[in-house]
Amino acid sequence: MIDPVSSAAAPGSAGPTRTQRALFQPIGDEGRATLVERRIAEAILGGVLRAGDRLPSELELGRTLGVAPVTVREALQSLRSRGLVVTRRGRGGGSFVAATADPIRYAERALAATSRLALRDMLVHYGTVTAGCIRLAAERADPREARQLAIRLKRADAADLAGWRHLFDDLQIELAALSQSARLTREQIRLQLELSPYLALLDTDPEWRSTSYQLMSALIETIADDRPADAPEAFERMLDATAQVLIERQSVLSRSARRAVEPAAGSSDVSSSPEEER
Amino acid sequence: MTRSDTGTATRTAELVGAYFADPLEALRSTTSAVAEAIEAARRSGDYTSARLDALAEPHALATFEATVAPVYGAGFIAALNTLSDAPSHLAWWQGPQRKQLQLAGQSVNKERIDYSELEWYRMPMLTRQPHVAGPYVDYLCSDEYTITLAVPVFIGEEFLGVAGLDLLVEEVERDLSPLLAEASDAPVTIVNGAGRVVLSTDLRRATGDSLRGPATAGLERATCGGIALEVFVGS
Repeated sequence: MIDPVSSAAAPGSAGPTRTQRALFQPIGDEGRATLVERRIAEAILGGVLRAGDRLPSELELGRTLGVAPVTVREALQSLRSRGLVVTRRGRGGGSFVAATADPIRYAERALAATSRLALRDMLVHYGTVTAGCIRLAAERADPREARQLAIRLKRADAADLAGWRHLFDDLQIELAALSQSARLTREQIRLQLELSPYLALLDTDPEWRSTSYQLMSALIETIADDRPADAPEAFERMLDATAQVLIERQSVLSRSARRAVEPAAGSSDVSSSPEEER
Repeated sequence: MTRSDTGTATRTAELVGAYFADPLEALRSTTSAVAEAIEAARRSGDYTSARLDALAEPHALATFEATVAPVYGAGFIAALNTLSDAPSHLAWWQGPQRKQLQLAGQSVNKERIDYSELEWYRMPMLTRQPHVAGPYVDYLCSDEYTITLAVPVFIGEEFLGVAGLDLLVEEVERDLSPLLAEASDAPVTIVNGAGRVVLSTDLRRATGDSLRGPATAGLERATCGGIALEVFVGS
């Protein structure tokens, strides 16, 4: 592989380090639009915005989010191409949450499309950061703070699945915040939002709901009972169980997705796809 | 021989108390005007989050200037279920530009943000007294390790919300460490009501660690008048 930066340095000389190379990667100006896109996508996939809901106008969104309308337009374009948003012109027009943007169906499609390798890597990243948070939280939290979380967990209501997921995500983030590390908490929030749609998919299974409730309860209890040494193991049990059901689900979904595509593969006119015309 | 006697603990606790008393006073001085403005809004029958933003903004921005403390954010948080258009709302300005906080949920839809359990809301509401909350990782507003000063606002018996301000623990450390080091030869550690280290002049003690129970044996201690912070002297 030819690397334009390191190949410019003479052999044997101290060339740019990896971190220096990362420094000189183009920043690009898509940053803000991506953030806007992510925020709206999270609201849709987290069930905050529901199918058919009207989004505020580009101007209004730009004002409240503190970005230019053109940035909002760019974000909306990406959301349209992801099938999360539709835009209708004319009277009564505007941008709406797509009818197909059902969080569960979207998560199923995304899980079917991901590879097992990518899923495992995501879980490794999530697990490592969360384990670090939990270890610190267990050492640093006042047991009373954990008891507050236990009380909130008891209010979990399976009749409202979106609320159920919100609560579990919140508890995970609050546990991270008990680490007293702002950096770790920010990282936990990012990872939690990434994983949350998949976890919401698992929540639809009552048996898993009761398992995950017990695992979360056991984890919180280690801190509430001031047994910090037991917390890492309680989290590991929770992570292992989650990884197992998620990977099984991914395997089932990707198999049925392949089956749905295969019969059509021979008859589709591949030559007319935009990629082939180039 | 170090000056790690009760005199030192009391003296340093007074220093810490005075450091927080100034910004607390800045908040307290706004509460009656805020309460009046809210009452006027309610009489006109349109106490909405937009109306709250408009009436809270001048007080919030004035709070930044009204104290020598390094205010990172300031504003007013409405008591739950008191606004006509939303169950909850934070009218909050923060950062070097003092920009208004836009929460993800608030900007696209009127999602409820349940802060009923959070220390800076619950404590002033229950005790009716000003409260120094934290330090805690504030993932709602500053996104940093934060101390929130909160003063309750009541009309008669009715709780309207809290006037608050955020201090970044980093800035407090920068302000207080040299003062404490000067006031005591022995290490000084400030601990909150949950037994958490706010800051310490002992380089081996980390902010965020817990210091409670047997670990405090043999240390001189004193409470900081009127706020839930304690000072320990010794290592």
